Amino acid sequence: MQELLNAVTLGSVYLLFALGMSLTWGTIDILNFSHGAIFMFASFSAYLMLEHSALSLGLLILLGMIAGAALSFLVQFVVFEPILRRSKDKGSAEIQVLIGGIGTGMILLAIAQHKTRSNPFGLNGSSTESTTWHWGGAHITDVAVLTTVVAISLWLVVGWWLRRSRQGLALRAIGVDADVAALMGIDRRGLAMVTMAISGALAGLAGILFTFLQVAITPESGDTLLLKAFACIVLGGVGSMAGVAFGAFLLAGAETVLLTRTDGSWVDAISFGLIVLVLLIRPSGMFGRAEVRRT
Amino acid sequence: MAGTRLRTMRRTLITTAALLAGLTALTACGSSSNSSASAKGLPDQIKLVAINPMTGPAAFAGLAANKGYELAIKEINDSDLLGGSKLKLEEVDTKGEAQEAASKLTTAISDKSIPAVFGSVLSQDALAMSPIAQKSQMPIMYTQAGSDGVVIGDYTWRATPLMGTYYSVIKKFIADNGYKSTGIIYTSVSPTLTDVATKTIPELGMKITKTIATSATTQDFAAPVQQILATKPDVVTVLLQGAANPSTMTALRQAGYTGKVLGNSAASAGNLDPAGAAGVGMVWPVDFNYEQKAASSQKFVAAYKAAYGEDPLNYAAEAYDAAYFVARAIAAADSTDRAAVKDAMVAESKKSFDGALGEGLTWKDGTIVLDGVVVEHTADGEKLLYEGSGQ
Repeated sequence: MQELLNAVTLGSVYLLFALGMSLTWGTIDILNFSHGAIFMFASFSAYLMLEHSALSLGLLILLGMIAGAALSFLVQFVVFEPILRRSKDKGSAEIQVLIGGIGTGMILLAIAQHKTRSNPFGLNGSSTESTTWHWGGAHITDVAVLTTVVAISLWLVVGWWLRRSRQGLALRAIGVDADVAALMGIDRRGLAMVTMAISGALAGLAGILFTFLQVAITPESGDTLLLKAFACIVLGGVGSMAGVAFGAFLLAGAETVLLTRTDGSWVDAISFGLIVLVLLIRPSGMFGRAEVRRT
Repeated sequence: MAGTRLRTMRRTLITTAALLAGLTALTACGSSSNSSASAKGLPDQIKLVAINPMTGPAAFAGLAANKGYELAIKEINDSDLLGGSKLKLEEVDTKGEAQEAASKLTTAISDKSIPAVFGSVLSQDALAMSPIAQKSQMPIMYTQAGSDGVVIGDYTWRATPLMGTYYSVIKKFIADNGYKSTGIIYTSVSPTLTDVATKTIPELGMKITKTIATSATTQDFAAPVQQILATKPDVVTVLLQGAANPSTMTALRQAGYTGKVLGNSAASAGNLDPAGAAGVGMVWPVDFNYEQKAASSQKFVAAYKAAYGEDPLNYAAEAYDAAYFVARAIAAADSTDRAAVKDAMVAESKKSFDGALGEGLTWKDGTIVLDGVVVEHTADGEKLLYEGSGQ
C-alpha cells in the first residue's frame, strides 16, 4: 500500500512538471529546456518572499505560478520568438531554441546558486504546516494528496481544453502545420505567448508543491527533473496528454518498485532502459501518432 | 661596390644577431635570479591558487574552505613566517566539474611562479587533478576529497582526515545508546560516503539490516526510507548530500521514526535547516567543531569569528591548517621551486603540529590523522557531544 502511495505521489510530481513541457512541445513545437530552471526559480522566488513574511501555501502557490508564467512569457518573448523569426528553416530553429532554453536556464541557475551558495532551500518559513495521516502501516501527507489531486485535475483540464476549446483546436492546428494555421487566421505568436505562460505557471505550481513535498531543493533540482520529464513525454508520445500521464506514472512506478525491491543502485539504468525498450517497440511513444511519410 | 655592400650587410647582420643573443642571455640571467625554477630565496610575492567549487552543489564546502585559506594567508602575511614575502591567493571555480578542475590545475601548472596549489574539496575533481599534479610535479594540498586515489605520491597531500579513519569515534554514541543494528541509506555519487556505507559502518559492530544506494537523480526518499524501516533497525544511518539530507530526515519522521539518525558532515553548514524540527536528532562524526576545547582550535575560532562574524565549519578549519602547512614548507625550503617545496612538505609532515583541527596533529601517508569529534543537530544548531576516541 505504501509503495502505491509513494508511486502515485512521485508520478503526480512528474506529471505536474512534464505537463507544461508537453503542452508547449506538442503544440507550438517549443522544447523548452529552461522549464526546469523556471520550476526551480518559482520556488526560489517564494523562498525569498518567505524571508520577509510567513505566507500560506495558497499564497506561495499563487506567487509561484505568477513567477513561472512571467518567466516563461519573457523567455518566449525575448529569446524564442526572435530565434523563430530569424531562422531560415524549422530544423535550425529547433536547435537554436534548445540552446536558447539551456542558456536562459543557466542564467536563472546562476542567480539562485549565487544567493543560496547551492545550499538546499525550502519553504519551511510558510505559515502552513504539513500534516501526516497514518492508517494501517501506510502514511501520506496532506501536501502529497494535494499534489496528486492538483496534478490529475490539471491534466484533465488541460486535456479537455486542448480537445474541446477553440483555442485548443487552434493550438493543435499550429502543432500540425504552423504555416497553414497562420493562413487560416490563427495568431500563432499570440497563442504561443499564452501557451508558454500557462506552461510556466504549471512549472511554478510544480515547483512550490515539490519543494513542500520534499522539504528542500537545490538550484540544480530542476535539471534533474527536466531529464525525467523529457523521458515521460518521449515515453508517452509527444503531443499526447494521455501519453505524458502514462509516462509519468510508469517511470514513477518503475523507480519506486526498484527502490523498494533492490539496493537502489540500478534504478536509473533500469528505468531509462525500460524507456529505450518501449521506444524500440513504439518509436513514437505509447500514445503518440505514428509518423506517416508519403513517398 | 655590390660586394662591399654585401659584406657590410653581412657584418651588420652578424653584429645585430650577437647583440640580440647577448641581450637575451642577460635577460635570462636576470629573470632566472627571480624565477621559481632554480634559484634560492623567496620572491616578494608568492602566488598560490585555490581550485575549489565556488558554484554548484559543493559550493558550500568550497567557499568555506576558501575562507579558511584567506584567514590563514592574512595571518601569515602579517607574521614573519616567510621573512617578508607575501602570499597572494587566487581562487578559481571548478563548478563541481572534474574536467573544469583539471583544466584549472593545468593552467596553474603552466605558471612557473606558482609553487603549490590547493586542490578541490570534491573527490571527483581531486581524482582528475591528482595524476596531473603528480606527473607535473606540482605540490597540491587538498581538503576534504576523501576518496581513494586522491593522495597518490609525494606531490599530493590532504589536510582532511579520511572520514573512514575517524568515523569510528561514533562507537561510544552507538554503545551508550545500545544500538545493535542499523539500516543504511547512502548516495552512490560520493566515493567517500560509499566507502563509509559499505566498509566503515559494517565494522562498527552493528548488524546491517539493509543498505540502499540512491543516485543523483533520486527524487523520492520515501521509498528507501520505507524499505529501511521495514527491517526494523535500532538506528537509521543516512549518508547523503545536499537537499537529500533534509528530505530524508523529513521522510523518516513522516514514516513514524522518532529515533536518532547517524549521519555525516555533509549535513552540516545549515543543510538540515529546511527540515525544521524533523532534522533534529541527526548525529555525525566530524574532524572539527567550533566548540572543541584545544587551545589552538579556540584561537582559530576566535580569529575566524572576528574576521567573518560566524562560527567556522570544519572545511574552513582544514583549509586554515592546510595553508599554514604549505607556508611552513615554503619557508623551510626558502624557495618557490616545486621540488624543493615538496621535499620540505615531506620533512614538515614528520613533525606533529597544533592547528585549527587540534593539537598534536600528525600525518600518515600524506593525510592528516586525528580522532574526531561527534556532534548532534539540535533545535539550536550543531552541538558538540564529545571529543576524542571515546573508546
